[in-house]
Amino acid sequence: MSVTTSSSSATPDWSRMARRTLWNRTGFLAIVIGFLTVVSLPIVLPYLWLLAISLTGKGGDGTTILWRLFAVAAAGYLALITIALFAPEGQTAKRLQWGVTLVTVAALVAGVGPYLTIDNFAFLWDPASVAAERGSQSRIGLMPSVWSAMGNSFAFAGAQTLIVTVVAAPAAYALSRFSFAGRESFLRGLLLLHAFPALALTVAIFIQMYWMGLLNSLSGVILVLCALELPFAIFVLKGFFDAVPWDIEMSAITDGASRFQAFRMVVLPQVVGGLIAVGTFTFLRGWEEYVFVQTLLIEKTSLTMSLYLFFVSEDSMGVDYSLVAAVGVVYVLPALVLYIFTQKYLTQMSFGGIKG
Amino acid sequence: MAKITLDKVTKSWGQTEVLRPMDLTIDDGEFVAILGPSGCGKSTTLFLLAGLYAPTSGQILFDDHTVNRVDARDRNVGIVFQSYALYPHLTVQQNIAFPLRFKDVPKDEADRRVREAAALVQVDKLLERRPGQLSGGQQQRVALARALVKEPNILLLDEPLSNLDATLRIAMRAEIKALQSRLGITTLIVTHDQIEATTMADRIICMNNGNIAQIGTPDELYRSPHDIFVAGFIGSPPINLIKGEARGDTALVGERVLSLSAIYRGAVTFGLRPEDIALIASADTAMTGKVSLIEPMGREIFYTLQTPFGRLHALETGETARFVIGETVGLTFNAQRTLFFDAEGNRLPGLNADITTTIHEPVPSVRHPSHAEVAQ
Ligand SMILES: Nc1ncnc2c1ncn2[C@@H]1O[C@H](COP(=O)(O)OP(=O)(O)OP(=O)(O)O)[C@@H](O)[C@H]1O
Ligand SMILES: [Mg+2]
Repeated sequence: MSVTTSSSSATPDWSRMARRTLWNRTGFLAIVIGFLTVVSLPIVLPYLWLLAISLTGKGGDGTTILWRLFAVAAAGYLALITIALFAPEGQTAKRLQWGVTLVTVAALVAGVGPYLTIDNFAFLWDPASVAAERGSQSRIGLMPSVWSAMGNSFAFAGAQTLIVTVVAAPAAYALSRFSFAGRESFLRGLLLLHAFPALALTVAIFIQMYWMGLLNSLSGVILVLCALELPFAIFVLKGFFDAVPWDIEMSAITDGASRFQAFRMVVLPQVVGGLIAVGTFTFLRGWEEYVFVQTLLIEKTSLTMSLYLFFVSEDSMGVDYSLVAAVGVVYVLPALVLYIFTQKYLTQMSFGGIKG
Repeated sequence: MAKITLDKVTKSWGQTEVLRPMDLTIDDGEFVAILGPSGCGKSTTLFLLAGLYAPTSGQILFDDHTVNRVDARDRNVGIVFQSYALYPHLTVQQNIAFPLRFKDVPKDEADRRVREAAALVQVDKLLERRPGQLSGGQQQRVALARALVKEPNILLLDEPLSNLDATLRIAMRAEIKALQSRLGITTLIVTHDQIEATTMADRIICMNNGNIAQIGTPDELYRSPHDIFVAGFIGSPPINLIKGEARGDTALVGERVLSLSAIYRGAVTFGLRPEDIALIASADTAMTGKVSLIEPMGREIFYTLQTPFGRLHALETGETARFVIGETVGLTFNAQRTLFFDAEGNRLPGLNADITTTIHEPVPSVRHPSHAEVAQ
């Protein structure tokens, strides 16, 4: 209305308004980025530190390396953000960003490169010499090789992933599709089980494992963790199945498929994202598991990576922090790689969610 | 190709009766439309035929064999769901080929049949796409090709055109009709669009609230509806329905007395289709009305009039209105086309009405409530 009445007296200054909008947007973005950066610092720093220590030699100064690492990385990060905020979009910005990245990497190599060593990772390829150096009574001398622990961890988390997804998928499907007596209470029970602190069960599970003759066996712990993980997996997968339309399943059946074929050929492919998400979560849970392997594998004849890390840091002959850090890095790496490959699916998952 | 018979088929979900006992025969090669308001059990009927639901009681027969216990997968029924229900993870080619995976069809023959079915509905250029990359009309064709590729005995279409825009709908209507008469498959199409039903089908099943209200050709449903529901449901714009009272050889309808073609006594509803009313420029006729609203609809003009019957709708062919709002016009109607329904809403066949030439004084009556409303 006002435009029509006052058009002659004051034409709005469009360019000024556009500039103001740009500034508002930039300011808002800057605040958001600043906040996120500050919040993630405490999370990122320990990992940087871990990396720095694991790469520092015996006489080296881990702290110096950390600060240099941090300073260079922070400078690079700030430069990248400034470019993203202010530089014109398109080719120039891209080229600038690549330049900054290269400079940062070069600075890292020049600044901290000379101080770095990979000696701490020698336990990976030459455990005998590490053991000899640390003394035959040191933990690393007494323990089986890191590779057997790594293998155990993979088998442990892998088997758990397999069992949980294979059991949870049909269970979730049934809960999503069929109505049967007790369905509602079953769903509520699942939630309750998930909310229940599993640690409270340790003693009971220990006794049960003892009677079942599964103490000290990796498969026993796998079963325990599967039982604990299943409620969550079923609940999440049910959300994915709920999102698959009833029609396409019925369509498959009129096309000549059996109920099972319809499930396998038509429904399951729609929930692949959910299966990957649930599988990844289960794998990561198994990979990080410490409490139940520690309690249930009393004789420690087979170790997982979490136990390996624990024993390296509990060495009665004195702790070598560089070694602990190196083992830590090796421990984190597979989880990180898995996460990078599956993060696309993890973000689709919301608890009991509709997203598919 | 199959004849379908339903023998007292019912379907209940728990306590709610969705289908009341239903008897029905559909001949081999017939194209039948199921028409009815939302929730009246149209989809349920289709799913019963497809075998996706089991009837609560009664028999379903294909070619005089009971198929109640035959699995959906063995009935050889092609179905197009309202949502099309294409498999999102498969290409168009794989979607159409899906039903053949469960039959012993050799690979090269399967390929040939998929190509034929795709060509039939003109999606042969899209075989490598996925359903997400298709328009609504293309998805609908793919669903049709998938239903046809297995050479079904019966084709069931559940509101296949409801997601399409008007132009595409008209085009697809003709295509489906042509395809059906070429292939001669017994076909049932569910719709709540009566134009769709009347243009495509040989016969229409008009359903109401789990019952079959009437089965017949489009013309039968239109000209001789069995009850007031069918009369009101078929026809657009809808029929004028006016409450009245029959008194032997006359009937008081609104404020007007009409002469009846037969003797009847009791409460009646008088039905008159808008297109059966003729408007006359001179106000010199036995009955007149005052134009209160004019709605041009392209080829037709839709008038709303205040008459002794109360408010009346009339439809006249023509591109421009002959009258203006407020004008008093003469009214006549075709006595042969008038309908009467009894107090239960059932048609009173053989009863017609004509405007009496002698104008009776309005006779106030306390027995029908619409009178007061009309009198204003
Ligand atoms: N699984 C079910 N459980 C309970 N009631 C149901 C179920 N399926 C359908 N109904 C009921 O049956 C009635 C008929 O449903 P149906 O799907 O056949 O309607 P429709 O005529 O196809 O309607 P629309 O035109 O909206 O598709 C509806 O009242 C519906 O609520
Ligand atoms: Mg329906």
